[in-house]
Amino acid sequence: MSKIGIIIQREFNQRVRKKSFIITTILTPILMIGLIAAPILIAMAGSSDEKTIVVVDESGVIAGRLQDGGKLRFRKTDKSAEELRRNREENVFGYLAVGKDIVTNPSDITLYSYEPSTMEVERNIASQVEDIIENIRLQAYNIENLPQIMADVRADVSLSTYRIDEEGQDKASSSVLSYGVAYVFGFLIYLFVFIYGGMVMQGVVEEKSSKVLELMVSSVKPFQLMLGKILGIAAVALTQFFIWMVLLFVFGTVLGSLVMPDPDTLREAAQGATMGMDVSGMTGNLNPETMEIIRNVTDLSYLAKLFGGFVIFFIGGYLLYAAMFAAVGSAVDNVADTQQLQLPISMPLILSIIVLINAMNDPNGKLAFWFSLIPFTSPIIMMARIPYGVPFWQLAVSVLLLYGSFVGMVWVAGKIYRVGIFMYGKKPTLKEVVKWARYKN
Amino acid sequence: MLEVKNVTKRYANHTALDDVSLLVPQGTVYGLLGPNGAGKTTLIRIINRITAPDSGEIWLDGKPMTQEDIYHIGYLPEERGLYKKMKVGEQALYFAQLKGMPRREAAEKLKSWFKRFEIREWWDKKVEELSKGMAQKVQFIVTVLHEPKLLIFDEPFSGFDPINANILKEEILRLKDGGATVIFSTHNMASVEEICDNITLINKSKNILTGNVDRIRHRYGENTFRLDFTGSKPELLQKLREKGIPVTDDAGTALYSSLRIKMPEGPASREILALVNETVEIRNFTEIIPSMNDIFIRAVEGTPA
Repeated sequence: MSKIGIIIQREFNQRVRKKSFIITTILTPILMIGLIAAPILIAMAGSSDEKTIVVVDESGVIAGRLQDGGKLRFRKTDKSAEELRRNREENVFGYLAVGKDIVTNPSDITLYSYEPSTMEVERNIASQVEDIIENIRLQAYNIENLPQIMADVRADVSLSTYRIDEEGQDKASSSVLSYGVAYVFGFLIYLFVFIYGGMVMQGVVEEKSSKVLELMVSSVKPFQLMLGKILGIAAVALTQFFIWMVLLFVFGTVLGSLVMPDPDTLREAAQGATMGMDVSGMTGNLNPETMEIIRNVTDLSYLAKLFGGFVIFFIGGYLLYAAMFAAVGSAVDNVADTQQLQLPISMPLILSIIVLINAMNDPNGKLAFWFSLIPFTSPIIMMARIPYGVPFWQLAVSVLLLYGSFVGMVWVAGKIYRVGIFMYGKKPTLKEVVKWARYKN
Repeated sequence: MLEVKNVTKRYANHTALDDVSLLVPQGTVYGLLGPNGAGKTTLIRIINRITAPDSGEIWLDGKPMTQEDIYHIGYLPEERGLYKKMKVGEQALYFAQLKGMPRREAAEKLKSWFKRFEIREWWDKKVEELSKGMAQKVQFIVTVLHEPKLLIFDEPFSGFDPINANILKEEILRLKDGGATVIFSTHNMASVEEICDNITLINKSKNILTGNVDRIRHRYGENTFRLDFTGSKPELLQKLREKGIPVTDDAGTALYSSLRIKMPEGPASREILALVNETVEIRNFTEIIPSMNDIFIRAVEGTPA
């Protein structure tokens, strides 16, 4: 085996066998699923916090028409507001006092609550009462067949969007999904580059401070050592990523089958929906936007494009930044000293996150276009654009630039590394660095 | 054969090595001596191509040394370092593989070394669990495992107790018997007398003394002898002073009197010895060879500032 191979193997084995690696690898997807599932489960089991509102209706037209919905329950009462104020009833959230002339004076309505009131409760009551008053007023016009007319004019708009690609074919595109995926993947690359790039830096500092480097360089070239470390940690990152994906897929499927109809029905329904068929019988009350997302998520070529893009841009971005992190690590004596030197590395990464928001809103704008080509920001920004669809030539240029600059960066970093690892305590002069850079292996 | 040719190395505000040359013959043990900060470690680092000299060259077997040569030597750095979180055996295997040894062969050799050093139970321990001296033993094994022809040890005795220092001395001699050339820097003068064939003494970045250990010691001895005898001390003193021989009194024992006599060169010495023999009964007559320790101190203190 080549020396780089031996180094990669060590870096990989040492890290993958660590308890912390095993724990984070297994726990992260569980945590993620948990974070998504917990609110749903709580909502499903949450009938206990129903809010009962007692209605004191002086007008006599509101109380009977209020409908229970969500967590709200309404109960008409004959007691006066005064009595209710004095004697609180058991398990009552509050009482609603409706004025006598509510229909002509819609602001004559007040909610008194025993607990802090919420936006949700207020909005629910306000909109229900609005509808009731509107209905009463409409009825005052004595229009024939009013309920029928009302039902006929009612319209739910759901905007379907299609993108026309170069071949003139139109593709359905879901902005909501693209938006979410762009954000998650862009951010994931940012996180991975920081975490694993930082790991490279720490590894270098550790080797330097444990004085193991002097022994190493009598066996291998510093460049081999640096590259071996970078590639070994890249393997760790990819391993972790794939384990996460598999675990997420498994958990997702298990969880999904518990709360959702089976995927085949969903896919059929989704395809049906896009063809304009009435599929409400098959899917219950899922709206077309949700159908769109489900159709995309179950579309393998779309997934392949996303994960392929992620792997290519993650590796490229990681390699580029890891080389810089390694150079920084070699120049300092301990991790605390890395702060200042790390700044030039962190800046483009943080800039990427700022531009990411813009790129998500306007994936084909000038800003997104240029930042998705510049190697230092392209991994994150291009990842944000991919879900929306990017012309092939732009992808190709971006990837070429990214990997090209990685090669250049590794070469420069290797030179700095060579000098840095034996500089203890004092900073090298520029003249010395030039001399070292010229020193033939 | 390793040759250091006129090596000079300057740092920002001091000169670490000033025109240092030395020659290490094949199959010998070579000591690099010198006070702290004299430039020994810098020289060793230059030989190992960790640092580049400002001028001068290192030659190995009649050719300028290359990076490839470095991979075949065994180098024990002054700053001992191992991966703290890695297990001892695994780590030793790793370094052996980096030196190009096949894994199986490395494992076998390591097992026998661990057995010989009686440290087999350390195999699965992490390095951070070992004491400094224990870690040094492991590092020594790592350095010599691939049986290099040239070995360079920087301060191999520092941090070892006398028992382990002795084991190390024996190992160095064993390596020499196996045909290896050994260069080491040290402050341990006793070990220099016992195992070094040649030495170089570096002080204030210059080579101030170089050569064969026995010859150097003899040269510093100045032909002085210690005489133990029974008989009249004043009579002997008087006779020797008449001949113009420098004599100093030396503390005797309960049984004998003692003197230090600086003998003249050549046949004249026989005459003096005959004179002594006539006057007193000689119990013991030995040349006083200075220890390397004395030579070290005298040479270093005698260096002009």
